[in-house]
Amino acid sequence: MTPTQRKTIPLRIALYALMACVALVFLFPFLFMLASSFKTNDQIFADLESMRALLPVGPLTGDNYARAFRLGNIGHYLFNSVLVTGITVALGLLVNSLAAFALARLEWRGKQAVLTLLVVLLVVPFEAISVPLMVLVASLPGLAIGANGIEITHSWLDTLYVQIVPFIANAFSIYLFYQFFRDIPKDLDEAAYVDGATPLQVYRHVIVPSSMPVFATVTILQGLAMWNQYLWPLITVPGEAARPLMVGMEQFFGARKTAWGEVMAYAALITIPVLAAFVFFQRWFVRSVVGSGVKG
Amino acid sequence: MTEWTASRGRGRFTALIFGGPALAGLAIFLVLPFLMALALTFTNQRLVSPQATEFVGLRNYERLLSVTALVQAPVDDGAGPVWPRVRDVTRADPAYAGYRPLTGFSLGTRRVTILAKDPAFLRALLNTFVFALLVVPLQCVAALGLALLVDAGLKGQTVFRAICFSPVVMSMVIVSVIWSFLFDRDLGLFNKALGMVSFGLIEPVDWLGDPRTAMPAIVIMSAWQGAGFQMLILLAGLQGISQELYDAARIDGANAVQRFRHITLPGLRQTIVFVLIVTTIAALGLFTQVDVMTGGGPRGSTGTVMFEAVQRGVREENISYGATIALIYFALITCVILLQQLWLRRRARRAA
Amino acid sequence: MPSSVELRDIRKSYGAADIIKGVSLTIAPGEFVVFVGPSGCGKSTLLRMIAGLEAISGGELRFDDRVVNDWDPARRNIGMVFQSYALYPHMTVEQNIGFGLKLAKRPKAELAERVEDALRVLQLGALRTHKPSQLSGGQRQRVAIGRAIVRNPNVFLFDEPLSNLDASLRGQMRMEIGKLHQRLKNTVIYVTHDQVEAMTLADRIVVLEGGHIRQVGTPLDLYEHPANRFVAGFIGTPTIGFLAARITGSGQDSVIVSPDTDPTRTTALPHRATTLPAGTAVTIGVRPEHCRLVPPDDATHTGMVVMLERLGADTFAFIDVVGAADPVAVRLDPGDRTTATGDRVGLTFDPATAHLFGPDDITIPSTRTVDAPFHAKQNP
Repeated sequence: MTPTQRKTIPLRIALYALMACVALVFLFPFLFMLASSFKTNDQIFADLESMRALLPVGPLTGDNYARAFRLGNIGHYLFNSVLVTGITVALGLLVNSLAAFALARLEWRGKQAVLTLLVVLLVVPFEAISVPLMVLVASLPGLAIGANGIEITHSWLDTLYVQIVPFIANAFSIYLFYQFFRDIPKDLDEAAYVDGATPLQVYRHVIVPSSMPVFATVTILQGLAMWNQYLWPLITVPGEAARPLMVGMEQFFGARKTAWGEVMAYAALITIPVLAAFVFFQRWFVRSVVGSGVKG
Repeated sequence: MTEWTASRGRGRFTALIFGGPALAGLAIFLVLPFLMALALTFTNQRLVSPQATEFVGLRNYERLLSVTALVQAPVDDGAGPVWPRVRDVTRADPAYAGYRPLTGFSLGTRRVTILAKDPAFLRALLNTFVFALLVVPLQCVAALGLALLVDAGLKGQTVFRAICFSPVVMSMVIVSVIWSFLFDRDLGLFNKALGMVSFGLIEPVDWLGDPRTAMPAIVIMSAWQGAGFQMLILLAGLQGISQELYDAARIDGANAVQRFRHITLPGLRQTIVFVLIVTTIAALGLFTQVDVMTGGGPRGSTGTVMFEAVQRGVREENISYGATIALIYFALITCVILLQQLWLRRRARRAA
Repeated sequence: MPSSVELRDIRKSYGAADIIKGVSLTIAPGEFVVFVGPSGCGKSTLLRMIAGLEAISGGELRFDDRVVNDWDPARRNIGMVFQSYALYPHMTVEQNIGFGLKLAKRPKAELAERVEDALRVLQLGALRTHKPSQLSGGQRQRVAIGRAIVRNPNVFLFDEPLSNLDASLRGQMRMEIGKLHQRLKNTVIYVTHDQVEAMTLADRIVVLEGGHIRQVGTPLDLYEHPANRFVAGFIGTPTIGFLAARITGSGQDSVIVSPDTDPTRTTALPHRATTLPAGTAVTIGVRPEHCRLVPPDDATHTGMVVMLERLGADTFAFIDVVGAADPVAVRLDPGDRTTATGDRVGLTFDPATAHLFGPDDITIPSTRTVDAPFHAKQNP
């Protein structure tokens, strides 16, 4: 950090002014969204003539939120998103960290080849395989609870499975875990083995407790990615039952393009939880981004 | 540890248990679709079709990538020079069968028309490059500026940093929705602001409806959303530069600009390259904003490679064709990464 | 041309915290002055203020009698060697050394010549096109010095330059720096926490503690005539031994003290006078070479040997003395092979060589010395 003592007063004032302007640039869409979500359509349009567009002033109403809930089926989509994100991330943490443990801490033939393969897989962008993946899942059998009890379905399309299972194993997560595990001193493992531990116990009692930062990082990055997913559920979940929040948003927007207030309320409902989590865990978010970048 | 797993059979077995689920997942949901995609591109499979799928070789690629030119000399029909209609030519001449016009220009008295079998795709390809070319410098320079501002040691930098990063956390869908309203021609904040600032002299711009402004609008919005992410990475790079280097430079007589040029930029070189690559790869995959805000329009000015892939592959159910587009996209990305690796190796060799 | 450097009541605060609390010092041109002190004493801060890298909160800094408080580092024409060398990583050795000249837009011929000179003096010619990452610690150190000398600065500043080197390399580099100074005869201000470096290189040593100067003097001055208990304990390896005692009376040109543990055994410390009343708690300081081991019954102080330090030429025994907070070091006779850890021993010393510190930890001076040791006013 550059020492501030030698900055002259006018320079500091200019910099603070710049910071304020830039901050406003990054904030104003939020402010607009928040403010509009509490106004009627007429109010929104009237306020556009001035700065009032960004401020929640004037007669405020909660109608938009009420309507968004009713018409937008938010509760249901929210439940879906939470379920999908939660299960994918939780299972992913387990599965990917175990794989990374095998790569970082165990010796076996072919390990180098798998590592190389992993790095190659990192390059494959999801969009490139999204279409054939869709074809694949369309013919996978699954279980569902239907009218006649548990039955076997012929396709994963339009289910929650399709949003969860393909994303549990994640090359980038494995890579992050692998890099972190490599930095943990092997002495700890060896001490445990001498004490009579099995590899699983070493994983559980040595590696995992020392790896909280990378677990946090992976949770945040994967969680964010799953929560914000759009392309995949768009093409694989056409129906309403398993629809996640982001697709719901797009539908709502498409259907009610002129109802600004309601759309803003819907958007606000989706955004606030993530923003709240971000504000609370800000330091962890920053570390995640930096951690994923530095290693790259 | 090596003793425990020395008996290789045991080590292998344990590794299989530990890594099995992940590897199986990757194999089924990553490797397999990739191979399927590869295979699909050589067929004409549709999502649902009464006919059986057949092997068509490179026809999909050919259809996507065929480009040719038609040069026409004017014919004088008495009332002045006239060029035969392209459509007549393509219908008549078998060499031009299946081609449609993409764009054209004049070369002296002759008209040159560029034809392609899939002009929409080529336009989308061009759009994607234009987007990357516009957004990468904008976003990275902005991110560098933000990082420098945060690192300047002023008060409130944590809050400022959080504010700049907050758009990254939001879903692109949400951002697209909000900015759609902001870009609205009659009621959008941007046009209102333009009107106020220019006292009504500047006409309202139909940001998303005018082919000339639609892509720039998406560029601005995308840079806005993504700058915070690169800012954090550049900030980490900045903070990795030892303060003592700056001190030594001050003693050597360097002013602020010289310090930036000789200490900051070289120190950030690797980070900047990383940021450029990541941003470029993300830019080439542009989809969500286009899908939500413009649907590829107006008049194909915002179509992108991935958008075309989804459009043809899913919405038009021509999955083999969509897979072909996706594979070309993958080839593009691989090229970018290979270029980066080559560049890095060249630098490493020069430094040694 | 080497400059003189004068500090007049220099102060430095960060917000409410005072780091430097009024330091005054005059450094003659060509003098090699070492700032030494424990971590946090402010020596690096002081150096950085002289360099212009930190603002001076109060007082005046003069180079050659010109006030330079507000001058940019570049304008002060100083050379600085940093603890971590701070070499520009993407430039070659040549470019690193010549960077300052290049910024000053010196003509190419002059630049090349001066860089050549520096490379030759420091024997870096063979490494001129190497990058810092390809150099060893010692080589980097020399490049850093080269960068500093090439601009013919008026004042040289060293900020703990040898801390990052291996012990063996440190000795070698110390000599090189000393030889360089003899050759270039410039004004040097050198910061270190290693008192051996200080004793070796300095014309004068400035001992700092808690933002104050505790004493200024030549190395031997500080060793033989410490102005206070802190300096006595800081200078000298092994550390001086401190014994608690009380004044029991005064004789003719002597002060009589006795240890707390045994008020009956008194020692008269000659050539000292004090106005402090009997019963005042004082501290005796004894250098290891002035102590001897005797049978416990014959000594004023007794204790047990807790460790022996065999350094080859000398052997030091560390005695846990009854009534002393830390073990006292005693240099054993070369012929003494019998003393072992765990022995109960008696400690004795020549009273004339002992130091005496009052309850305020300031030395009660000897009445005999012609030149009283110089020490700065103790600021409260």
